[in-house]
Amino acid sequence: MDKIRLENVSYVYNRGLPFEQVALDNVSLSIRAGCVTGIIGHTGSGKSTMMQLLNGLAEPTSGRVFLDGYDINAKAEDLYEEWSALPEYAHLSKGARKKAIRREVARRRAELCFRVGLVMQYPEYQLFEETVEKDIAFGPRNMKLSEEEIGLRVREAARFAGLDEELLQKSPFDLSGGQKRRVALAGVIAMRPEVLVLDEPAAGLDPAGRTRILDGILRYQRTTGSTVLIVSHSMEDMARYCDDVVVMGDARVLMQGERREIFSHTQELTDAGLDIPQITHLVRLLRERGVPLPENIYTVEDAVLAVQALFAE
Amino acid sequence: MKNVAFGQYYPADSPLHRMDPRAKVILAILYIVCTFLCKNAISFACLVLSALVLVVLSHLPLRLILRSMRPILFIIVFTSVINIFMTKGEHLLTPADWRIKIYAEGLWNALFMVLRISALILGTGIFLTYTTTPIALTDALERLLSPLKKIKIPVHDFAMMMTIALRFIPTLTEETEKIMNAQRARGASFSTGSLINRAKALIPILIPLFVSAFNRAFDLASAMECRCYHGDEGRTRLKVLHYRASDLVAVLLMLSFGVGVFFLNRLGIGPHLS
Repeated sequence: MDKIRLENVSYVYNRGLPFEQVALDNVSLSIRAGCVTGIIGHTGSGKSTMMQLLNGLAEPTSGRVFLDGYDINAKAEDLYEEWSALPEYAHLSKGARKKAIRREVARRRAELCFRVGLVMQYPEYQLFEETVEKDIAFGPRNMKLSEEEIGLRVREAARFAGLDEELLQKSPFDLSGGQKRRVALAGVIAMRPEVLVLDEPAAGLDPAGRTRILDGILRYQRTTGSTVLIVSHSMEDMARYCDDVVVMGDARVLMQGERREIFSHTQELTDAGLDIPQITHLVRLLRERGVPLPENIYTVEDAVLAVQALFAE
Repeated sequence: MKNVAFGQYYPADSPLHRMDPRAKVILAILYIVCTFLCKNAISFACLVLSALVLVVLSHLPLRLILRSMRPILFIIVFTSVINIFMTKGEHLLTPADWRIKIYAEGLWNALFMVLRISALILGTGIFLTYTTTPIALTDALERLLSPLKKIKIPVHDFAMMMTIALRFIPTLTEETEKIMNAQRARGASFSTGSLINRAKALIPILIPLFVSAFNRAFDLASAMECRCYHGDEGRTRLKVLHYRASDLVAVLLMLSFGVGVFFLNRLGIGPHLS
């Protein structure tokens, strides 16, 4: 099932001004439910803009964005015809029906940012509370949950993000860069979003920090079965963590499909200014020289296993 | 927030864009004086004409100029209402037995005030913000005010502060937008609820903004010191300003416009500002 679908979506900045800029040009794509999808493309390819369309922060200039088949930017007036036949609304008078539909659309709209959790680029800059605990609780509190439930979710989110209990009472400004980043991640996870969207979650972190945050994301995804979208330009990370890959370039979708399929298109990826993972490249070179290794190797661990298997023979 | 048009440089290649920024500062001041000199219908007609000439010379799209007027729309409406209803004169327009009295003088006053305020905004906008980059502008101000250094006023330091402040306005705007989006993504809402709740809703924006602004300031200070910045003494410039003949001509034209307006006021014909 498609969790998210984009239909002919375009987005233009500064429309009508001389610095007008097309960030997305007629983009159509679908994201499978319960999978990790990586969105790659170099700077200015429209990745970050697309993120903001998914939870309603920005509305596309044209085209539609669907979450579970529902157009998230739908207006109550446009839905009136279609929904009037539904049992919830059919028995109401015309005026009451209009009102009920309008209320439902507004409710879905308000709920959207809790269903689609967005972790922006360098999210550590959004921390503001006195303690880590309070900061993580900001989202759940906006959801108007009970204090008990909030406390529960904060601890759960901290666990997913790999934050120790004793960090919760510290000021977020006293933490290291990697820890701050994980606090910000926990702040979004605490809302238990069905879709978790992350913009360059590992940018600027050291290798240990990268692994910790990406593992945290994966832990959340595996446990809750949610849909995860990761925007990145690191092929290594994409290869390790993603099931599906979308390649963007010049405000368009160049390729989309399963990881194996995408990484076999070496030439197209190079043309888009991207690389295949180094280990995949190495394996390819070895194969060309007659070493009988399997073709679909994207992580160093897989390569080690394959080489060991080769020597065992 | 990307749609804020007021006070933004508009890149184009026009006679006004090419002019020396110092000349433009002088012209802007002269133009402001001229708008206040205008006293009667004829001089105001000249003012409107001059504004049109400026618009044409600046090569700015009309839409942009109209949009820059939007923030002052309230002031314009407010002053005209006050002027229409509060001015007392000789020519009563409403029937004598009405409680509300509107005089012809009031209508003229309202029109003149609207023209004056619009010309003021238009003139400063065209000379200073739309055709001059902020950096060129502070540079010009520093040079124009440099005589004040003789009486120990740190003109250079003020200009540098201005330059830095202006330079960081777009950066901070962008940052604010990012932080707002991030908090909105966590369910924060900035436009609903009581006044107190709305003020409280600003905390999640202001704190991160201040933190990052301070961090930026420290970084910038270090970067400036690394490049041996030590203030005004012995500092040379990348872009040295030169007056050209056309700058002088423009200033002279503006001066003669002022003198013209001054004498037009003396003509006792037509309605005048009371």
